[in-house]
Amino acid sequence: MDFKPRVTIFHCINAFDENQKIIDLNINFIKMPCSSMTKDVFLLRAFEAGADGVVVLVCPQDRCQYVEGSLRAQKRVGYVKKLLDEIGIDTRRLSIYNLNTNQAKNVIQEAVQAIAALGPQT
Amino acid sequence: MIVGEQKPIAEIAQMIASYNKLLILGCGTCVKTCFAGGEDEVAVLASALRLFLKKKNPKIEIKEQTVERQCEDEFIQEAGPAVAQNEAVLSLACGAGVQALARRFVKVPIIPGVNTTFIGIQEAQGIFTEECRGCGDCILEIFGGICPLTRCSKKLLNGPCGGSRDGICEVNPETECAWQLIINRLTALGQSDNLCRYIPPKNWGSSISGGPRKLVREDHII
Repeated sequence: MDFKPRVTIFHCINAFDENQKIIDLNINFIKMPCSSMTKDVFLLRAFEAGADGVVVLVCPQDRCQYVEGSLRAQKRVGYVKKLLDEIGIDTRRLSIYNLNTNQAKNVIQEAVQAIAALGPQT
Repeated sequence: MIVGEQKPIAEIAQMIASYNKLLILGCGTCVKTCFAGGEDEVAVLASALRLFLKKKNPKIEIKEQTVERQCEDEFIQEAGPAVAQNEAVLSLACGAGVQALARRFVKVPIIPGVNTTFIGIQEAQGIFTEECRGCGDCILEIFGGICPLTRCSKKLLNGPCGGSRDGICEVNPETECAWQLIINRLTALGQSDNLCRYIPPKNWGSSISGGPRKLVREDHII
C-alpha cells in the first residue's frame, strides 16, 4: 500500500521496551509514565495536529503497576471514540491495545496497517 | 452542587455557526466537579469543535479560559479582556453562570454549552444523583435527612406508597425507594416516631412555582 499514514502512538513506558520502537518518521511516539495519563484532550490534539490515526499502547489490565491505569486508558479511549463519532471522524482511527511482552512490533504494524486502510484523515 | 451535562457537539456547532472568534469560558466550581465545564472540559470541547469545524468554518478562532466561578461577578470580571477580543462566548457554566455573564457583558452574545440538570451530589466517582429540589422550605429533619420530594418518584410526603420491592422503586428499577431509606434511617436514629406524623401539603409559594426567588441579606449590603 502506497499511503503511509501519520500515526501518533501514546504508550505507557512499562508497556513495551523502548528498543522495540519502530524507526518510522511517520510515527510519533509519546511516552507516558502510566497509561492513566491518557487524556481526552491529548488524543484529540493529536488529530488536530494532523494524525491520520492515534494508537494507545497499555499494559495488560492485570499487570498495570498502578492497578487502574490500563482501565482508565480504556475508558478514556471509549469516551473519545464517542466524541470522534460526533465530530464525524471514523472511530477506527483511534485504537487501544493491551500489550504482552515482545508483542509491540507486530501490534504497531497491525495498527498502522489498519489506519492506512482508512486512507488520509481529511 | 449544580449538576450539568455538556450539550452535543452538533448542537453547539449550530449555535456558534455565525461567529469566527469564540471564547469558551469554563467554570471551576460545580460543573468542573461533574466533568461538564471545568478547565479540562473546555480544552476537550475546544479541540473537538476545531476538528468538527475544520471544513465547515476553518476560519474560526477558538480561545479558552476558565474562571473560578461564573455565578459571581467578581470572578467573571477576570474574563473581561478575553471576552472583548471575541465575537461570542460559549459558557460551560450552569444557567446561573450564563445569565451572570449576560448581565456583565451586555453587548456580547452568551451561548450555553451545558444543560443544567439538577442540584445533587457525587454519589461515587462519575455518578451524580439529584438530592434537592430547592423548594425553599426545608423539612429534612423529619425524614432523617432524606428528601422525599426529590428522591421519591411520587414525591410523597406521607409515604411509603406500597410499590416498593426490596428497597427499589416501582417507577424505576435503578432508583432506591426513598421511603425505605427514610424508614431505615429513622429507625437507626431512634426517631421512627416521625413516621406517625402527618405532614400537611407543602406551600409551594417558596419554590419556583411562586415565581423567581430572591434572597436579600441586609447585613451584607453596604
